[in-house]
Amino acid sequence: MPPEGGRRSGATRKAPEKASERLRRLLTVVPYLVRNQGTRVAEAAELFGMSESELLADLDLLFVSGLPPYGPGDLIDVDIQDGRIWIGMADYFARPLRLTRSEALAIYLRGTVLAGAPGLEEAPALASALGKLADALGPETLGGLPERVDSAGEGRTPDTLGELRRAAADRERLRVEYYAASGAETTLREIDPEEVFFAIGNWYVAAWDHRSNSERLFRADRIHAAAATGKRFEPRGLRGAGRPLYTPAEDDVRVTVRLRPEARWVAEYYETSREVELGDGRLEVELPAGRLEWLERLLLRLWPDAEVVDPPGLHQRVRELAGRTRERYG
Amino acid sequence: MHPLERLVNLVALLLESRTPLTFDQIRSKLAEGYGHQDASSAKRMFERDKDVLRDIGVPIDVVSTDAWDVEHGYTIDKDRYYLPDIAFTPEELSALFVAVRSAGDVSAEEAVRKLLSGADRGILAGLGPPALAGEADPNLSRAAEAVAEGRRVRFAYRTSRGERSDRTVDAFGLAVRGGHWYLVGLDLDRAEIRSFRLSRISDDLKIAGEGTEPPDGFRAAEHVQAGPWGPGDAETTATVAFAPDVAWWATRGIAGADTVRTREDGWVEVRLAWSPGEGLISWILSFGPDAEATEPPELRSEILGRLEEILAS
Repeated sequence: MPPEGGRRSGATRKAPEKASERLRRLLTVVPYLVRNQGTRVAEAAELFGMSESELLADLDLLFVSGLPPYGPGDLIDVDIQDGRIWIGMADYFARPLRLTRSEALAIYLRGTVLAGAPGLEEAPALASALGKLADALGPETLGGLPERVDSAGEGRTPDTLGELRRAAADRERLRVEYYAASGAETTLREIDPEEVFFAIGNWYVAAWDHRSNSERLFRADRIHAAAATGKRFEPRGLRGAGRPLYTPAEDDVRVTVRLRPEARWVAEYYETSREVELGDGRLEVELPAGRLEWLERLLLRLWPDAEVVDPPGLHQRVRELAGRTRERYG
Repeated sequence: MHPLERLVNLVALLLESRTPLTFDQIRSKLAEGYGHQDASSAKRMFERDKDVLRDIGVPIDVVSTDAWDVEHGYTIDKDRYYLPDIAFTPEELSALFVAVRSAGDVSAEEAVRKLLSGADRGILAGLGPPALAGEADPNLSRAAEAVAEGRRVRFAYRTSRGERSDRTVDAFGLAVRGGHWYLVGLDLDRAEIRSFRLSRISDDLKIAGEGTEPPDGFRAAEHVQAGPWGPGDAETTATVAFAPDVAWWATRGIAGADTVRTREDGWVEVRLAWSPGEGLISWILSFGPDAEATEPPELRSEILGRLEEILAS
């Protein structure tokens, strides 16, 4: 159970641009524009992951480039009217550069992960796309990778996956029954599902939660039932794929535990905010937690391989949990 | 002249030239780019430009332009420059986009954009939102490179129990399980095929020469074990009752779990494979009072004993 309840994260990545980056981008976007004359600036910018002003600045330089002797008839023709782009005199840029080896390996690996995600409708298309890619690029680019990489299977498809993806596409509010592992309880709530994505072996949905009036992340396999409400929502631009699965909050409790070798897997499985080797094989970790219920259960299962350092009252809570569990056994 | 303009002109010039061009020819044709400075600083600028082009994958070759190997010319091999046409269906392209978009893996995103150029307009309307999290991992790229080329690699590894050792491994394959990548290969010191979780490699993975070939019928995924939190492999069976709140998801994805019955109080009894040891006990306890082992009696008494110890601690 990776923790849940992440709040909005603001990861950004943009550094000042080098000419090499701009060239790489230009040699990629121009072939599309040559093939698709009259493409909208906004559409091209979105497809190629750049802002409209970046695209226009790049096209401005393309407009003064071409072949010797660089007379009016030798330069690339760029015409932008009513927000649409026409490019002429650029036949030599009508096809993109080949994929570099690292690009080819990267797309192949990501494709393999996603094709192994249970219940992905696009899986057959993805698998055939990877097959065509391997055929076209051949061993000179991909080496022996295609025969030597695979997915070990990722469990079962969540029952509600199809409905979640449909509702996210249709922007329809859902009423869900959700088992919140952090509090070890089933809750009923209405959510606006914006993005459904696969991360570390599980499907998640990034949604607006009307119960807590905040953005939340839900694990799809813990959504027991999802019912359409018929109500539409306006997307709030919540981020799905690429966000951290757990975003620590200021009011989180910082729990410190010492893990024996048998329990060290906890540090790999859960988000930790601090890890210290104690030198005797034990690892001291700090786990941020919004609620303690899931941690009590974790500590119950780990005993005696995990020892609570802080907060001091937590061990007593684990004992109480052991007492309630003990009652089941008469 | 703006550096980008000079670079674009240089690519265009070399792509369109039927013969290799010497630097002097390039300098006179691209006078605005390289003509203003003295010859040696112009040459340095050209060398830097050539490195930039090679960096982004433009195949520039240097060839002799005379029989005595005195003069050298530069050329771009078109066959190695242009991406061959690949007849993707719109669904295939869209699926590739779903796999790579906005997840922070820059190389994969760039790859898909190159593939897009063969698409017709309107593909945007059919694109699903990105569906896969995860950024690029430098050790994954290196491991993929090693597997692609059949190399031997060396790295410092930490087991799940925290024990460190240096490993030398012939890279046979890569497998993903539970969202984590594993390198599978022949561990030379142990003379066995082993799997290594990439996140437990504590420094950079280094290439250490040629590797050996995997055995016939090798499949990387068959060598990757489940984590320590599942109930483990089958030896005998156990029955566990789950509270209604957790019963519907508790045994999902667990191979061989059979629902026996739903009790009158709503609890669900499930039969599971059980091999004696820590796995199943720990897993049952992770449900706290929402799970109760009912069979066999040894399992019950082990769990009970554990609970008594915690209560006495």
